[in-house]
Amino acid sequence: MNRPKLEELLLQVEKPARYIGQEINSANKSLEDVSIRFGFSFPDVYEVGMSHLGMHILYNLKNKQKDIFCERIFAPWMDLENLLRKENIPLFTLESHSPIKDLDMIAFTLQYELSYSNILNILDLGQIPIKSEDRQKDYPFIMAGGPCAYNPEPLAEIIDFFVLGEGEEVNLEILEKYKEWKKRNTSKEEFLEQISQIKGVYVPKFYDVNYHEDGTIEKFIPKDERYPKKITKRIIKNLDDVYYPEEVIVPFTDIVHNRAMVEIFRGCTRGCRFCQAGMIYRPVRERSLDKVKTLATNLLDNTGYEELSLSSLSTSDYSQIEPLIEHLMNENEKDKVGLSLPSLRLDKFPLEVIEQIQKVRKTGLTFAPEAGTQRLRDVINKGITEKDLIDAMKDAFSLGWNSIKLYFMIGLPTETYEDLDGIVDLAYKVINLYYDTPKEKRGKGLKVTISTSSFVPKACTPFQWHGQDSIETLKEKQYYLKEKLRHKNIKYNYHETKTSFLEGVFARGDRKVGKVLMKAWESGCKFDGWGDYFDYEKWMQAFEDCNIDPHFYANRQRNYEEVFPWDFIDIGVSKEYLKKENEKSKKGILTPDCRKGCSACGINEGSLGGVCNV
Amino acid sequence: MYKIRIRFTKKEWMIFISHLDLLRLIERALRRAKVSLSFSQGFNPHPKISFATALALGVSSDGEYMDIEVEEEIDLQWLKKTMNEELPEGIEVLGCKYIPIKSKALMAFVEYSTYRVRCPLIQKIEEDDIKKRIENFMNEEEIWIEKIINKKGRKQNKSVNIRPLIEKIELANYEEDNCVLKMMLKTGSQGNIKPDIVIEKLGDISIDLTKIRIHRLELYGLEDERVVTPLDVTV
Repeated sequence: MNRPKLEELLLQVEKPARYIGQEINSANKSLEDVSIRFGFSFPDVYEVGMSHLGMHILYNLKNKQKDIFCERIFAPWMDLENLLRKENIPLFTLESHSPIKDLDMIAFTLQYELSYSNILNILDLGQIPIKSEDRQKDYPFIMAGGPCAYNPEPLAEIIDFFVLGEGEEVNLEILEKYKEWKKRNTSKEEFLEQISQIKGVYVPKFYDVNYHEDGTIEKFIPKDERYPKKITKRIIKNLDDVYYPEEVIVPFTDIVHNRAMVEIFRGCTRGCRFCQAGMIYRPVRERSLDKVKTLATNLLDNTGYEELSLSSLSTSDYSQIEPLIEHLMNENEKDKVGLSLPSLRLDKFPLEVIEQIQKVRKTGLTFAPEAGTQRLRDVINKGITEKDLIDAMKDAFSLGWNSIKLYFMIGLPTETYEDLDGIVDLAYKVINLYYDTPKEKRGKGLKVTISTSSFVPKACTPFQWHGQDSIETLKEKQYYLKEKLRHKNIKYNYHETKTSFLEGVFARGDRKVGKVLMKAWESGCKFDGWGDYFDYEKWMQAFEDCNIDPHFYANRQRNYEEVFPWDFIDIGVSKEYLKKENEKSKKGILTPDCRKGCSACGINEGSLGGVCNV
Repeated sequence: MYKIRIRFTKKEWMIFISHLDLLRLIERALRRAKVSLSFSQGFNPHPKISFATALALGVSSDGEYMDIEVEEEIDLQWLKKTMNEELPEGIEVLGCKYIPIKSKALMAFVEYSTYRVRCPLIQKIEEDDIKKRIENFMNEEEIWIEKIINKKGRKQNKSVNIRPLIEKIELANYEEDNCVLKMMLKTGSQGNIKPDIVIEKLGDISIDLTKIRIHRLELYGLEDERVVTPLDVTV
């Protein structure tokens, strides 16, 4: 788009800084000098997308290649969307402000199911047909990856191909093939044929799905024997050798996580049975202490950020966490660079260290017991005991903290009202602990925040067979807790149950729910993850119009014989192991942390073999 | 500790970043440049950077100012060069100088802004008619506008006489489909008015109000009853 026109539009919208690009460390290449123009899209607003570490990694990785220009695409807010539609201007990239349909390839990262409608909207705003079969040769290839790609089927008609697993290597392999294909100038189909042979790439149109009469899957079959029967996820074996960006974009505008991020390890050894990340990101691989230190220094030098965050699924499990924190505290003291440690398991972590980090400003501590009773915590294999929690909070209060957050899930398998009572008991125990702390030691004014999210069973987890609680059941449980948690020191937060339900449908949906997605988007659904814009009625109408029952996907209890839409994906962890874990959960038997003994999940065997470094 | 006053621009794409964004951007640029910033004491230390006045979103400027405090004396030529390497296009350091640590704060010093406003015209209007209109406008003793003010969280309407806030308006350039007005207006805590409000009030000369582009030329304060820029002030 020409500059005066864009300026004219931006003078009319909220927070225009999110559309201009131009940030420090953003890429700027001449379009004549590159052979591939790539678009990386996070299907949400700039502030959310720019907080995502994976985007920064893949963006910089591609732009390091001389002949590739990777640009960013986000979902414009409604005000800009309305102007674009009114004036028939196609959606543009942030870097060169050119129409996204001019790109060679666009990749969407799938971080949550409720962003799917935004993918359709972005394509449409870009004047690109939303269905794969309608995009002839002059349209870009549309690919997708990220955690939700582990059940790609709801997007099978929209996305040309998916990439499973970690992207650093496979992205470049695909683009290499693309360069060759561009020279050959053959059909789109022929390119897809080529890349279907790359490990980790799934091209949905090369596969057929047959269904039983009851709607479950009978068979998932490659259309030809040259297509792989199993799609194996990609992993990076050594994190010290893999590319990591040291010159990341520094946004102008405030974003959700406005800070430098160093990833310290991938995977998680805890084995919580509800957690999809804990299964799909296996095995655990740490970045060495030296490497992390170097990255931290360089990132801060190159960005000027005033805050550094360590990124992983469970920060305190990093084997070198204490020396690392000590180093970072000493190094950054003078420049007043703050340190933030998300995903810290406080139950086993020395609070004195946290106190050091938070200095005088005690911002509050967050614990995630996830369930209210020991029985249910054992069911989900959350290896945390009430004693751990109580001890940690006792310490916290006597060190002066007065704001505690506790996170729980409701609707977990085998949950009863006794487990909800456990949440209530724990909340009141925390209050008593506070008042038992000598007045001169404790901080003034106690605030206990209890948050419950509604459990959504996910593909590739031990609970993938479980029927999700209905909206009504979840609401009753929330109401029950709300009544019992009325107290001047307690604040109770809970999630909208209708969005959890829709998330549940897409998390375990098949190709058929893709039709509903298209229908819902046509009727105006977008930004479903933004409470205010989620339109449940429109979604339900879309299900009805497509004659598809959402409860079949969300609330139905599956049996072990059922073929799942995602069964063709090999995450390294075997389905047998997931079954075993599910059985153990029913009996409340714990599975130890991988660091304390291998439970043979399968990641060390098969095609990924021998990569655990615990 | 040392205090440095800096004049800079905010132009091109940078007109779209907010005042808060600008503050963050300057701090990060100074951090990248390894300037030894002074920090405030207390719970949440902040670098000592203060601005003259916030510029509205969409307005460009050649006359923005900030004061920064640093721990060590640094070469100003180096500072200017290094900052310009670290700053995005559109934000450019034009000049800087050391000022006494106890100098009057920028925000308290600044009293006037000069602006250049490009006004697209909806229909043809004679140059003399515009001049006449400006003359009549400036001859008014009172010009009242309705302002919504926030009083203890409650929104209230208040009438304000803006005439004392307008120092000067002149027609700087005239073409058939647009004209350029230059104006000097009160800015800061002792009275503040934005150019678009003046233009709106000027009325009757068929300016397309949705398409005016405002550019700030310079900021001024008073010293011994003389009008001087923040870099020219002696104390």
